[in-house]
This record gives sequence, C-alpha cells and structure tokens, in this order.
Amino acid sequence: MALKQISSNKCFGGLQKVFEHDSVELNCKMKFAIYLPPKAETGKCPALYWLSGLTCTEQNFISKSGYHQAASEHGLVVIAPDTSPRGCNIKGEDESWDFGTGAGFYVDATEDPWKTNYRMYSYVTEELPKLINANFPVDPQRMSIFGHSMGGHGALICALKNPGKYKSVSAFAPICNPVLCPWGKKAFSGYLGTDQNKWKAYDATHLVKSYPGSQLDILIDQGKDDQFLSDGQLLPDNFIAACTEKKVPVVFRLQEGYDHSYYFIATFITDHIRHHAKYLNA
Amino acid sequence: MDGEAGGAPEVHRSPAPRDFHFCPTDLYDSEGRLRLFPEEHTRTGRPVPAEMTGEPGGAAPGKAQSDLEEEVQELADLYALAEAEAPGCLGWGAAGRDLREAYRYAHGRASEEYECYVIPEEEDEDEAALVFCVTCKAPVRACEVSDAHGEHEVTPLSKALESAKDEIHKNMFKLEKQIIEMENFANHLEEVFITVEENFGRQEQNFESHFNEILETLAQKYEEKIQALGEKKKAKLEALYGQLVSCGENLDTCKELMETIEEMCHEEKVDFIQDAVAMADRLGKFLNTETDVEISAQPDFEDQTLDFSDVEQLMGSINTIPAPSAPVINPQAPNSATGSSVRVCWSLYSDDTVESYLLSYRPVQDGSPGKDQAAPSPPVIKSKEIRSCEEAALICWESGNLNPVDSYTVELTQAESPEASGVTESVVGIPTREALVQLQPRQRYTIYVRALSVGGPSARSDPVTVYTTCVAVMGNLIPIRGRHYWEVEVDERSHYTVGVAFEDVPKQEDLGANCLSWCMRHRLASSRHKYEFLHNGTTPDIRITVSPRKIGILLDYENSKLSFFNADISQHLYTFSCQLHQFVHPCFSLEKPGCLKIHNGISMPKHITFY
Repeated sequence: MALKQISSNKCFGGLQKVFEHDSVELNCKMKFAIYLPPKAETGKCPALYWLSGLTCTEQNFISKSGYHQAASEHGLVVIAPDTSPRGCNIKGEDESWDFGTGAGFYVDATEDPWKTNYRMYSYVTEELPKLINANFPVDPQRMSIFGHSMGGHGALICALKNPGKYKSVSAFAPICNPVLCPWGKKAFSGYLGTDQNKWKAYDATHLVKSYPGSQLDILIDQGKDDQFLSDGQLLPDNFIAACTEKKVPVVFRLQEGYDHSYYFIATFITDHIRHHAKYLNA
Repeated sequence: MDGEAGGAPEVHRSPAPRDFHFCPTDLYDSEGRLRLFPEEHTRTGRPVPAEMTGEPGGAAPGKAQSDLEEEVQELADLYALAEAEAPGCLGWGAAGRDLREAYRYAHGRASEEYECYVIPEEEDEDEAALVFCVTCKAPVRACEVSDAHGEHEVTPLSKALESAKDEIHKNMFKLEKQIIEMENFANHLEEVFITVEENFGRQEQNFESHFNEILETLAQKYEEKIQALGEKKKAKLEALYGQLVSCGENLDTCKELMETIEEMCHEEKVDFIQDAVAMADRLGKFLNTETDVEISAQPDFEDQTLDFSDVEQLMGSINTIPAPSAPVINPQAPNSATGSSVRVCWSLYSDDTVESYLLSYRPVQDGSPGKDQAAPSPPVIKSKEIRSCEEAALICWESGNLNPVDSYTVELTQAESPEASGVTESVVGIPTREALVQLQPRQRYTIYVRALSVGGPSARSDPVTVYTTCVAVMGNLIPIRGRHYWEVEVDERSHYTVGVAFEDVPKQEDLGANCLSWCMRHRLASSRHKYEFLHNGTTPDIRITVSPRKIGILLDYENSKLSFFNADISQHLYTFSCQLHQFVHPCFSLEKPGCLKIHNGISMPKHITFY
C-alpha cells in the first residue's frame, strides 16, 4: 500500500508525521497522523490509536492536545486517523456537521448512499492497523485505543466488539449510549437504517451488557461543564450502570469546570497516556 | 445412506415406484425450525411426491445390500414412509440431492455432505439459533426477535443460562443459610434443655436439705419434750413416795404409841405413873413435830408450751430462694486506690443468681502526710506518647523532680471545658511514671498529674486532652523520603477510610476533613458504593464500577503524590498531589466495628511504577 508522507515535524525527540493513502474500505484517499517516539528508532513500540470527534480531521489532535511529551516518555506510537471518508461527493454529506463528512461514527454503513464509502469501523479496526503494522515499527500484539466524544464512542465500541484486541481503552466525554441520544439516532438511522438491532451493535452501553471478554480497565474523563452532557448527548450514567452490573472496571472522573473542548483533553491527556502505557509496556 | 456414495449397490436400477413418498421432517421436531420446502410446508410430514431416477452407482457386495435394506426399512418406519416395493434399489439419488439443495437454500450454506435425514446445523454468522427474551422469559429465534420482541430485552442463551444458574445458586445459598440457622436453633434448644435439668437438680437439692432440717428439728423437739416429761414424772413420783414413806413412819409411830399407852393403862399405879410421865413427854414431843399433810406433788403436769419458733422459721424459709454465697473481695489492686473514691472488685464463686450487690464501708483510719518538708514540682506529661482507645488511656510522664517522689496522682476531668466542673476522678498511689486509666467511650477528658512526697502534693502538671472516640489508627512508617507502598484488605460492606495524615492532625476530626490528612473513603448506601478522595473536606467526583477488595496505597515523597489502586486488577483509582513537608503516618479508620487487614513490607507491583 503506497503511503505518501504529507508532513513531518520533530517533537519531544520523536517525529510527528502525516500520511495519505488510498483506502480500500472507504474507497477514497485518507490521511492519518502518526507520532513516532524516540524509542521507535531502535525497536518496535506499542501502538495507541486516537479517534477524534465530530468535525475533526487528523490535525486537531496532533496540534491541540499536547500529547507528545507523554507519548515520547512512554515510548508509544500514536496514530490519529480522520473521522470520515473525504471527497466522495455523496449527496448530503456536507449538509450537517453531525452527519456525513467529519461524522463517520465509526460504523460500517449499510444504507445507500453511504455504504460504499462510510465504513469507518472496518477502516479503524482492520485496514489501518494492517497498514501501520506493515509500514512502521510497531508491535502488532500491543495495541490500545482511545478517543474523544464520537471518537470516545468509537474507542469503546471497537474495544467491546473485539475482546482481547486492545490492551486498554479510555475516553474523553464519550457518546456512551448513541441509540438513545439525538446524535446517535440521526447518524444510525442514516447509516444503518431503521433496524434498531443494527444500531445496538454499535452502542457501547448495549455491548457491555453482553461483553464476554477479558478484563478491560476503562478510564473516562468527563467535563462537568460540558454542554453536550447537559444536552443528553453523552449519557455516561447509562454506561456506568451497565459496567457496574457486569463488573467491568471503570474509573469515571467528572472534572469540575471543564467543558467539551481540546483544553479539557489537553489537561488530562497525560493521565490517559499513562493509563495505556501501563498495559502496553507491561 | 448417501445417494452419492453408492447406496444403490447392485445391478438393476429400476426407478423407485411413483407412489414412494418421503416426508421432510427434522430429526428434532422443534417448532421453530425453518421449513425445508417453503412451498409445501408441514412440520410433521405431509408426504411430498419424490422424483426418483435411477442412478449409476458402484457395484457392491450383496451383504452390504441387505444391511442397507435394513437401514432403509428403519428409516422408512421412522419417517412413516410408505413401504417400498424394491428396497434394494433405493437410491435417494436425485431426491436426496434435492433435499440437500433445498436445505442448503433454506440455510444459505456452502455445500456439505448430509445424512439422508436432516441434521440441525450449528449457529452461523447470519442466523443465531436461539436467544433468550428476558421480557417473555422464553427462548426465541434470533430472526424473530425483531418481530415480536422488538422492544424486549434479549440476551444470548448462554447468558440466560448463566443467570438461571445464578438464581439457583442464590437459592442454594439461602437454603444453606437456613440450614445453619436451624442447626443453631437446635443447639440452642439443647442448651436450654440442659439448663432445665440443672435448675431442676438444684431446686431438688435445696428443698431436700430444707426439708430434712425441719424433720430433724422436730424429732429433736420430740425427744426433748418426752424426756422432760419423764423427768418431771419421776420427780413427782419420788416426792410422793417420800411422803408416803414418812406418812407410813408416822403412822407406825402413832400406832406404837397407842399400843404403849394402852399397855400402860393396864399397869400398876406406881409403874403407870413413871411411864406416864415419860410417855407424856414422848407424846408431847411427837405431837409437836409437824406433820406435813400437804401433798408434795400435784398430779397434774403444768402446761408446757413448746417453742416451735425455729421450726416455724424453717418452714417459712422453705419457700424462699436461698441467699447467695458471699462474694469474695479481691485484694486492692495497685493504682486503684483513691483520694475521694475507691475501686472495689469482687468475685462470686458459686452458681447463685445474683440480682444486685450491697456494698458497705466505714473508715478505719485517718492518715495525712507530714507537712514539714517542701512539696515537689509538678510532673510533665509526655503528650506524644499517649495511647488511647475507647475505654482506656495509657499516660506516661516525666517526674519533674530531682529528688525521688513517693507517688503520683492522676486527675481526670470529663467535661466540655476543663475548667468547668473540677476534678471528677483521681487515681492516687501510683508508684511508676505511667498509668492506665479506665475511661468512658466517646468522651473528652482533660488529664493532669501531680507528684506526691512527704512534703505534700505538687501543683498540677500541664493538662493533656484525651479523646475516647476511636477516630482512626495511625501507623508508623520508616522515616525515609522515598516511595512507600502498602495494601489494605477491606470489606466491601464496611465504611472505611484509608490514607495518610501528619502527626499533628486534629484527632477529633474525620480523616480528610482538614488540610493535614488525605484519604480515600468508602461508604455503602443501599447497595450503592460511594467513593471519595478527601483532603481539606473536598473530594473530586469519581465513580468506580468495580468495588475494590484490596487497596494499594503509594506514598511518594519525591514527587509529592499519594495514589490509590485497586490492587487486585492493577487499576489506578486516584492520585493526590500533596505537599509533604514533614513525614506522614498511614491512617486507617472504620465507622463501625469491622476489620481492615494491612499488608506491609510487600514489594511494589510493576504497574505502580507508572505512577
């Protein structure tokens, strides 16, 4: 698979790069960002995947979150894909900021006209890791995933749908129960149609209820002053209740005064990187 | 019996008769099965005309043929197939192929070999066989879920099984508990039974001894009375007999005199006059002697009222509960003596039931110290070495004097303010520089010490305050400014607090309520676990889904951090950033009686190194 390097910047002794490639799943050109820590020069490192939220590209995380120092210190390769296929010229893809472009919701769409291109779930769980493993010094056995908002939803469902694939998972202000919130309902009905069973397959709260897999240790940070929390888009209580019931370990921190922005992410990103390093470097 | 594998073994291959029917039934006749032939569906086999064409098959020995015939017959019977006229040439052949294809079509499967009867398939990705609808409490096909059970909660069958098993286990657990309770009850009954026997035995003994006592006393009285009467009788009789004898003597004398006088009257005058004078003297003397004609003894015996009061008393006391045996006063313990009060202890060495004790006392001696020497200086209490618990405190002090003193006195005030009510208790005669004083729980005491010598008592020492509310227990760490790690095993149902605090943390406040302590607190409120990480009275808002049973605590002086972990799953819970200008002590507290197990001196687990 041909990778075209778009940019490269040295940061905390490592390299922040952006690449472009032709995606088979998404049937379009896709960009992703990848940070290679100093340790990657001499050996294979674990891989940590970051999934961004609505309206983001591969740029937001690498320029706003300030994760490089921690990633460098813990020797983690951090990969941040885009949030949806781009330039597919699908009718209606740019009509809303919470559906279509920049709002892939990390599902494999089954409805027209989305199903040809909007296959972000397979892209994130299959195509991209294969690509990274083949082209970069990463250990394919050590992989973790985290994200923000829609990306938090993506991280949770990827981990819950693939027990044992990820060593750890964490999220910032994730959409925990999309079948019950406006964002989720809009996206799922558009991508997956009206069959609610298909929706549940991409809903972290539902997935946890029948999660059979090995122990996950989930860290979730949520800003208390997050408007989307009060708007009922995020619904963490449902997820926590389901995890308590199923005895899935979660530490959920409600952070006083913090909102939904990258300032919030930047404040606690070090804690999350350390959380993943604990399992990836074990 | 597979058409392709040469089920029709021998030479002649005439087609099967037209009236040969076979019925498309499942091996397991379950209702929910998909029908094989969608157009002509029955569940239990309405016959469908089958097309049989001859088919080339490999030659096979005759023996195989007869086996086959038997098999065919069995299957025909099983499926209520019509009798085949030519069983030997039964090749299911094309019809068998149709069957398989139909099945394949219905189940969307890649081609596989089948037996001639339909075998139910394993689950495949597109169609899960059965799930469990929790709402309807029944198994349903996955494909039917969206129809009838769209709104219902559906779980995989294995999960439903699990939860059913859980139920059963819970019930078993309840039954086990009940068994234990019944056994306890049976034991209790046994104890009561034995106690009844014992009580009966005691009552019996009691009554018997009482009763015997009464009988003995009565017997004794009987003997006494009889004896007394007997003696009286003897006395009377003797007296009477004596009288009788003297009467007889009297009579004899009288008779003799009479006879003599009569003889005299017949004598000569001269002899008569001589004898008469003598006789007159004798008579005169005799008549002058008094004769006692009073009966010396009365025939009646006086009324003797016997004294039965002691018997009455015994009879009366037969119904009273015997008084208990006397208690034994313990010798006076050191440091229990008093200036204004005495601690008296005693023991009871019998089975008696005691309702209360009555203590009485009187002073025997009055002593006071000599006054011609100077009083000593007050001692100095070592406040940092005070140890206290709910019911006692151990106080120790420095003498405060160069010269030896005779003894010390500890004075306690239990009050809100120490100056208010004065001394409520003092312990005198303490020979050493420490004392264990007994206290009431949940109180605040102010304690002083005085020294005592022949010159009199010293002034009071500086006071110390002791609290008998056990807020927390403080441990001691080796005072190194490095990283320390310890683990605490907790009971998920208890309300516990674990953390650290400075030496001078206010002891009457909760851990974490001030800026001198940091802690993790767990409370259980109607089966909801609540976790707080407290410092200066505030906590972040944190929810933890899996309740820890073993908490790992990392104290890092270098990085000014205090971290808490669920040690069993290596899960980080929370980290304080704390300025530790002095050494801190690990603290542990429980709100209700319970148990915290502390593991110290263990090596730091690997996951801790990330913090």
